[in-house]
Amino acid sequence: MLATINRKLGLLIFIVAAVYLYLSFQLPNYEYAPIDADVIPKGLGILLLVLSVFLFFSRVVETDAEKAKRNIPKKELGVIAAVFAMIFVYILLFEAIGFIITTTLFIFFCSWFLGYRAWKTNILVSLLFPIVMYAIFVFALGIVLPRGILPF
Amino acid sequence: MDAFQGLLTGFQVALSLEGIMFVLIGVIVGTLIGMMPGLGPISAIAIMIPITYGMDPAPALVMMAGVYYGAVFGGSTSSILLNAPGISGTVATAFDGYPMAQQGKAGKALAIAAISSFIGGTVSVVLLMLLAPALSSVAISFGPPAYFALMFMGLTAISSLSEGSTIKAMIAAVAGFMVVTIGIDPQTGTQRFTFGNVNLFDGFDFLIIALGLFAVAEVCMLILNRKNRSLSDDQKLGSLKLSKADLKEMSGPVSRQSFVGFLLGVLPGAGATIASFISYIFEKRIAKNPEEFGKGSIKGLAAPESSNNAATSGAFVPLLSLGIPGSGTTAVMLGAFLVLGVQPGPLLMTDRPEIFWGIIASMYLGNVFLLILNLPLIPYLAKILSIPRPLLISLVIMFSLIGVYSISFNVFDLYMLLVFGALGFAMRIFSFPAPPFILAFILGGMMEQAFRQSMTISNGSLSIFVDTPLPLSLLLVALISLLVPAFLKWRSNRLAYKQR
Repeated sequence: MLATINRKLGLLIFIVAAVYLYLSFQLPNYEYAPIDADVIPKGLGILLLVLSVFLFFSRVVETDAEKAKRNIPKKELGVIAAVFAMIFVYILLFEAIGFIITTTLFIFFCSWFLGYRAWKTNILVSLLFPIVMYAIFVFALGIVLPRGILPF
Repeated sequence: MDAFQGLLTGFQVALSLEGIMFVLIGVIVGTLIGMMPGLGPISAIAIMIPITYGMDPAPALVMMAGVYYGAVFGGSTSSILLNAPGISGTVATAFDGYPMAQQGKAGKALAIAAISSFIGGTVSVVLLMLLAPALSSVAISFGPPAYFALMFMGLTAISSLSEGSTIKAMIAAVAGFMVVTIGIDPQTGTQRFTFGNVNLFDGFDFLIIALGLFAVAEVCMLILNRKNRSLSDDQKLGSLKLSKADLKEMSGPVSRQSFVGFLLGVLPGAGATIASFISYIFEKRIAKNPEEFGKGSIKGLAAPESSNNAATSGAFVPLLSLGIPGSGTTAVMLGAFLVLGVQPGPLLMTDRPEIFWGIIASMYLGNVFLLILNLPLIPYLAKILSIPRPLLISLVIMFSLIGVYSISFNVFDLYMLLVFGALGFAMRIFSFPAPPFILAFILGGMMEQAFRQSMTISNGSLSIFVDTPLPLSLLLVALISLLVPAFLKWRSNRLAYKQR
């Protein structure tokens, strides 16, 4: 039943639409609003439900280019997942440790991880970029970035 | 105020010291980001938005417009030199630009691209200057039903014109609309889909969506292609000089496609990418020797380059005069307007002439700057293409994170950036187009409001959308724009099915 990718995606989107529609029907009603807050969400939910059925039963054959696009080696997906994990850790520590230190570490290790081996340039960029950005945002634009454990 | 006086006001803004400076910053940043393969104008605009906080709206928007057309201008460089289009609007540029570069005529190709872009951009600003005020004065009488129908038509047009499956494009649009329903409903105060989470009460800021769906997702694609070659140091550009014969050969396509591009840019749903392809095919059809196309034809390079830049200015017509973006990129531009507290639309020309005319006037200036940047300075600018990919990836991630943090100072939004980045990446892998999503997200709130206002006027009867000719005809166009391609696809699929 789930032979083609469109069937799998269709089913997934059908479930999303069903959940969204269910939540739309839980929205509270107000007597006096001519069009209440639930009208548009209900309409959208039904529309997505219908579209997911269309996608499920569509006989459009996937082109080779489309197939190649989603055929990503597991190792490469792992690399992307690792970068996302690094960003996650960055966000986690960002406010506590401060913008300059976390950003320096992130740029250095992320670039290194992705295969950048010119470590001298890497150190230079990962030090200069956060300092320059911090100066622009905090002093020129008046947008305060977390200072963290540094004194300035 | 008539157009002439308006334009004078505009030039006062554009030719002030501040104006010149921000046009220059805008086009330089746009050119540089546009050149980077994989990073498009949407990312360029979204990354620049935080810089404009606290700025005067007129110079800020002049700069943002510069980023947009600068990105389209700059995208051609990497198409020609690397065969890796900087943006989707310059994919067609590579068809003939890259072969030309391989024949050792990279300099010539860059010069043709720059001159074609300049003419396309400038012709189109003249047309924009004539058409936008006229459309503004017509649109001033549009009521909520007409606005709803216009926006609806914009969404169906972008869905049916998107690359690949129309169903997938429509799913993307509906999903974008759904995301905007999250948060407190501004009209009744009902909490929708917030699950009691305080961070969701105000909904998602559009910058989270734009940076996630585009910048972060584009970074993921860059990670996959990180081993692709970047510009090597020894690559020679060759002479930038054009002969009289070259100029004569490009004059035909440039003059025709500037108008074609503009027209396609004005229409909802099209934009630079589609305009460049249509112009390329157009010129190939009418060429005396179409077999030269794809092998380094001057015509084949000049056509998409004049067209994509013309379409870029053309796209400002609906944005400035109706306040309704017709493409993903102009949707993010609208976001940039709203961040600065400026509501584009029919009233913009009379209420904020310095912004309306300032942007138009600055485009003349910006195109001249771009010509200078892209002709004599291009060998130096092209050096940016030799930035190592891993470093570029880390820096773009940083720009996105800083951008989101500086709108709300809320770490929750940073996690959401990651979520939408993952969503954008998944959409790219499974061939769901992202522009309909961002357009629906930007238009969704306005559409819901227009719909409810219409229904309040008509006392809850849907007939208000079909009783007057304007909304009715717009909705019919929307319906046709969905059904015709769907029917054509269905028929060709059925034929293919039968043959097997």
